[in-house]
Amino acid sequence: MKYSFFPGCSLESTAKDYLMSTQAVAKALGIQLEELPDWTCCGSTPAHATDALLAAALPARNLAIAEGRGQDMVVCCAACYGRLAGANLALAEDSHLREQVAAAIGREYSGGVKVRHFLQVLREDIGLAEIRDRVTRPLGGTKVACYYGCLLTRPKELSIVDDPEDPQLMEELLSAIGAEPVEWPFKTECCGASFSITRADTVKRLSGEILRMAKESGADCVAAACPLCQTNLDLRQADIERSTGERIGLPVFYFTQLLGRALGLSDEALGIGKLITDPGRVLTR
Amino acid sequence: MSMPAVETIDWRLVQKLDPDGRLNLASCLQCGRCSSGCMMRQETDILPHQLNRMALLGMKDQLLKSKAIWMCVSCQTCVARCPMKVDTPVLIDKLHAMAQAAPGDLRKVHVFNNVMLASMRRFGRVWEFGMMGVYKLRSLDFFTDLGKLPTMLRKGKFSILPPVTKGCSAVADIFDRVRRARRAQR
Repeated sequence: MKYSFFPGCSLESTAKDYLMSTQAVAKALGIQLEELPDWTCCGSTPAHATDALLAAALPARNLAIAEGRGQDMVVCCAACYGRLAGANLALAEDSHLREQVAAAIGREYSGGVKVRHFLQVLREDIGLAEIRDRVTRPLGGTKVACYYGCLLTRPKELSIVDDPEDPQLMEELLSAIGAEPVEWPFKTECCGASFSITRADTVKRLSGEILRMAKESGADCVAAACPLCQTNLDLRQADIERSTGERIGLPVFYFTQLLGRALGLSDEALGIGKLITDPGRVLTR
Repeated sequence: MSMPAVETIDWRLVQKLDPDGRLNLASCLQCGRCSSGCMMRQETDILPHQLNRMALLGMKDQLLKSKAIWMCVSCQTCVARCPMKVDTPVLIDKLHAMAQAAPGDLRKVHVFNNVMLASMRRFGRVWEFGMMGVYKLRSLDFFTDLGKLPTMLRKGKFSILPPVTKGCSAVADIFDRVRRARRAQR
């Protein structure tokens, strides 16, 4: 199975561990992720907050390149997923925008590329049974709080899950590899996203509520599927503990890191050493 | 909130914000589901259902001076839970694009957006490390998170060198063409 892979800017930098673990897992499962040649930024929040045409044109340039290759586009970052899939939808609905975008990117794009999150590829193209068969080191009942955040579940038109208020996609995957997902109510709450830089107190409030709820629900760790979510919950965790004086101590993995461990891959290959909150207690179980 | 003077009402505001009626602003039932789920409800000055109604009423000045349009975290909870599919996040994006400046401390959000766009335009991709440096200089917020820098570098979570992609000139062209298209509209 071959796909055009769109890593996105964060996976080259703050979320290198997400990139490493995704590539290692894909290789182990025979998923060929071919990096989209010459890809450029999806535009992220600043583009859609500034100009609707810019916000459609930046993803469309990448989608047009993928269209020429005739493969589905696979994305790991939740924000890139939202912008790319969202641009597809906006272009399909609005012929005037389609014309404007074609002029801005200097080529036609028909809107025909399917944009998919890596979780969907694992669930739909590989399947839980196949993944279960490949497990060599089951997670031994590790209690995981699966955290989706916003952009994989909302808005409904772009959601990768059946129920945007109570998704089960990651739970099913992690159950298949021997983890025990906890039931908890904050799996689609917002971590504060890019306010991490401009409004750190807001992020401490929102991410703190998520971490405390995960802990109260009995989780040993959190599984994330978005670079910004992971960074906010992991890198800000010590600040959150300091501001409330309450210890949390929850490692925040990318779901691909947990999957890779179950598939017997090395911690080096999965970038486990890049996690900030010490994952040792969970991994030695 | 005080009543707006009648001369500050812009009767054509909805026409400007939503010429095709895609945002469903007039369908809003004022049920408040959006506002009860809003992640920023404790911090903001105007709640989502209020924003929708104020836009319909043409209260442009109040909207453009509000904290609310800069405080939206784009989590999409309001539109996902709306029984009438009122697209508040896109309304906020459009108000954002109309506003010239952000009030008080929210200036930093505006600076951050511009610095990130500049990084995209220059390199084709966002260079997170360089962007943070420029943001610090432009926002005059030098010390927040400085203590995290050694950890980020030790863990290899920052690329010291900017990304290199052949697509960077194509991205700069897109920025230029979008700017020209906007100018032509005005």
